[in-house]
Amino acid sequence: MSIIQVDDVWKRFRIPHQKRSTILEHVASLLAFEDKSYEEFWALKNIKFSLAHGDSLGIIGPNGSGKSTLLKLMARVMKPNKGTIKITGSIAPILELGVGFHGDLSVKENAEVYGIILGISRSQMKRLVDPIIQFASLEKFRDTRLKHLSSGMQIRLAFSIAIQTAADIFLVDEALAVGDMEFQQKCLEKFRELKKDKKSIVLVSHDLNLIENYCEKCLYLLNGETVVFGTTRDAIRHYLDDMKSGAQKTP
Amino acid sequence: MLFYLVSASSDQALNATFSHYLDIVLVLAKKDFKLRYRNSVLGFIWALLNPLGYMLILTVIFSILLHSSVPNYAAWILIALLIWRFFQVATSQSLPSIISNPSLVTKVYMPRTLIVLSSNFANLIGSLLEFLVLIPLLFLFGVQPDIHLLFLPVILLMEFALIFSLSLFLASLNVKYRDFDQIWEIVLQLGFFVSPIVYDENLIPSNYRFLYSLNPITRLIQATRQLFFEHQLPTGFDFLVVLSITAVLFLGGLAVFSLLQVRFAEEL
Repeated sequence: MSIIQVDDVWKRFRIPHQKRSTILEHVASLLAFEDKSYEEFWALKNIKFSLAHGDSLGIIGPNGSGKSTLLKLMARVMKPNKGTIKITGSIAPILELGVGFHGDLSVKENAEVYGIILGISRSQMKRLVDPIIQFASLEKFRDTRLKHLSSGMQIRLAFSIAIQTAADIFLVDEALAVGDMEFQQKCLEKFRELKKDKKSIVLVSHDLNLIENYCEKCLYLLNGETVVFGTTRDAIRHYLDDMKSGAQKTP
Repeated sequence: MLFYLVSASSDQALNATFSHYLDIVLVLAKKDFKLRYRNSVLGFIWALLNPLGYMLILTVIFSILLHSSVPNYAAWILIALLIWRFFQVATSQSLPSIISNPSLVTKVYMPRTLIVLSSNFANLIGSLLEFLVLIPLLFLFGVQPDIHLLFLPVILLMEFALIFSLSLFLASLNVKYRDFDQIWEIVLQLGFFVSPIVYDENLIPSNYRFLYSLNPITRLIQATRQLFFEHQLPTGFDFLVVLSITAVLFLGGLAVFSLLQVRFAEEL
């Protein structure tokens, strides 16, 4: 049974030559007979793959190849222009840590807001709040305002919350590159647990070792197109080959 | 198990949990509410001093200097000010609610109407508290409310529905047109004077009075004054005007919001 099925997905962005964001600017451009030109570009072209229950997916490719866009489509933050994405199960998007965080609220209050946004119920949250703060090693700062914490600490908190959600699929965008060594080890331990529980992780990262260690399947994107979808070894080998030959071509 | 399908035309979360959405609204409203009052020591007291200050100024101008014929002017105007203030503050705070919470739109999925709803909901609670604290003051002014006062939350709920319907327009249009707040500010200024806040509805020339009475804010203010001074429930006409205008605004607002929200994540 597949938990993620992506079928012929296309996503287009429009980049206007002149961004008009106020009514005044719209009126002014009408009066000046400016044309409404914009450039189109396809961030994703004809993406197709499916992921089986319990498998994890790595997404690799150079900057601007459409990795994050694909993740956002899966998280339902944006809609594709064409094609469908079928997802069976609940999703915890860890696209950016600390969604809805506010510096003037305490650690505990922020944990509550973020956790509930990610799908933890209010009653569950009451029980989970202490384990979350403990996982982030922030017991001392429970009632401190978030703005007094270092950015590393804030990210630890955010990650601890996201990982506690009972989602079936975790969408992770470069989130692990933060936090100190000790915390990274903790996170990787947690990833192993999730995988043991047959949860799926979709990981966008430039850390190929990480992807090799945690993902059965891998998607290699280049300029919005699928180069390889298959086993992680295959995809990574292709990616490395491409990079080497690309490096040789450009003097 | 949750199942959903994302495509260009549809976006359906089958079995999307209503209780999760309710939780989101409550927790975001709680956050709004805390942030609004925490940063100043006086917190909630400021929220009370604002209508009281206006009451004082307007009473001096209209009752003492201009000799308004309305008896118990201070209490009379305070009630209207509280109703107006709910409308004014809630709409102008919901207007930037989407653009000031970009991460809730671009990093996580939830129905975006919830962001607007939670902003309005925080204001509803604030407004209820303002009434609760200021009702004893009305006693001091010689107003003697009776059991009919229990109907006040119904009036505030109707106003809440009206505000939410309008906020759907405001919050979504503000994403596309970032100067929309300037326009709304002018509309609010106008609204203050086309509603019977500082003057009585009877001052309007009789041939315009019917048109004038179709303003839902006018109806809400008159209904609340009736409740306090004459111990009468809102009339059928009050309900008819407020509810029908709210229904039209709600459908229109929802249509505009759904149309514009497709591009929210790209515009923020």
